[in-house]
Amino acid sequence: MTTVKYILRDMWRLMKNHWVLGLLTFITAGVMLWILGVTTLFSLNLQNLLQRLESELVVQAYLIGDNTIDVEAVAQKIQTLDYVYAIKIYSPADSLAKLQEKMGSQSRALDMLGDNPIPYNFEIHVHRAEDVEHLVDELNAMPEVEDVVYAGLVVKRISALSRISSRVAFIMFILSVVITALVVYNTIHISLYSRREEIGTMYLVGATKAYIASPFVLEGTLLSLLGAVIAASGILGAYFPGIALIHANLPFLKSSLITDKATIFRFGALLVGFGATLGWVCSYLVVTRFINSITRPE
Amino acid sequence: MNISFSEVTKIFEPDITALIDIDLNIEQGEFVYVVGQTGSGKSTLLKLITRELLPSMGVVAVGGYDLRRMRRADVPYYRRDIGIVAQDFKLIPSLTVYENIAFVMEAMSVPKRIVEDRAKNVINQVGLWRRRMMKPAQLSGGEQQRVAIARALANSPSLFIADEPTGNLDFHTAMEVMKILYAINAAGVTVVMSTHNQYIVNSMKQRVVELESGHLIRDEIGGTYSG
Repeated sequence: MTTVKYILRDMWRLMKNHWVLGLLTFITAGVMLWILGVTTLFSLNLQNLLQRLESELVVQAYLIGDNTIDVEAVAQKIQTLDYVYAIKIYSPADSLAKLQEKMGSQSRALDMLGDNPIPYNFEIHVHRAEDVEHLVDELNAMPEVEDVVYAGLVVKRISALSRISSRVAFIMFILSVVITALVVYNTIHISLYSRREEIGTMYLVGATKAYIASPFVLEGTLLSLLGAVIAASGILGAYFPGIALIHANLPFLKSSLITDKATIFRFGALLVGFGATLGWVCSYLVVTRFINSITRPE
Repeated sequence: MNISFSEVTKIFEPDITALIDIDLNIEQGEFVYVVGQTGSGKSTLLKLITRELLPSMGVVAVGGYDLRRMRRADVPYYRRDIGIVAQDFKLIPSLTVYENIAFVMEAMSVPKRIVEDRAKNVINQVGLWRRRMMKPAQLSGGEQQRVAIARALANSPSLFIADEPTGNLDFHTAMEVMKILYAINAAGVTVVMSTHNQYIVNSMKQRVVELESGHLIRDEIGGTYSG
């Protein structure tokens, strides 16, 4: 307990005596974690939007006009395919009604067709946009299916956008983590370097490496934690007003963005935890490496 | 704590030989002056004792332990039994006199009350109680040296290593510092100090070990030094 008290007091001393470097670490960690948080939230929302678009992608499969076909059996066969998320059967009558509803006042034109020409058909939803092409191939290979209709270009674009956004999000995340880690590592290294003689003296008079390192590691962790708290507060404070603004101007995005408060607060807590852990890991690495290098006898 | 050097050579890469084939034994309670010109190897010899350096060849043993075989994790514990005073004082500039002295005890997790008592004791011993709240930069060279001595005394060491403790001091202040070192030795502590100050060596005849260009050229009890 005595040692813990001494270490905490020494940490406070370090922060007080070298407050400029401390402030630098705090600000840089805060800014980088803020960028990391904003980038991650943006990516999550983009993923959410793309997922919604993907879930709304529909493949329409029309069966051949043969009354002997067991429609339910064909639907079950399609349902068992890996890509299929949901399938809905439309009878010719349902399909016609739907078409009439869509055409509104112009639906009288359909009377000119005479008998209902629309066969049984399925509305098929997929898990991911990239699955559509595979599904279409499989449907075309089925003898019961006469025609398959889908928005080919849209599918390709959404699929490509989804792939690119995932990669960009991953790269941005890794970049932000690496930059944050480097900034924290270097500012703590500068702070240590400016105190190298003190550290050498501490070791010379009998302080263990763990005792010397602990206040520095705690300082780095605390400064990163504080930076993360500020970053998370900034993000949480701006997120909901930002979402409200987007909803007001782009109402079609309403159900595509993350609006659940609990999720966003959990994200903030995660960011704080991540900042503290990153600070601890960086401080631990730089302090142990530095102390080892200056206490090694020639 | 006895010290022994057995055929010790120290070479600094790439090709500076600081000590050559040194054989030396120092018994518990002795007062030894290590003398010689600048660059003769005095500081290297002392740093081998404190394990700031390791020998290139030969064995340095303190209290029967071969320092080369000592694990790095054990070095701080070994140093806690040695009082070390450097020529450049090596005080922590951001700490006050009191804090500099308390630090060595706190690093050993000594409880606060004992730290306060012992720190007060050693600060009084070097006559700096009124300066205890000052930082090193606010003190004169002599006072800083006395703080370094007080810090070295804080853990009641059985071996006291002082590298030119009077090197930066005027004669009067240097003699005051020497009085403190003699008092420490009188209490049974082994004192090994390097100096090239002949007046100090000659003022109290102790064992003198003289180095020249890394060679031990003289080891004389009750010796003098002519510079």
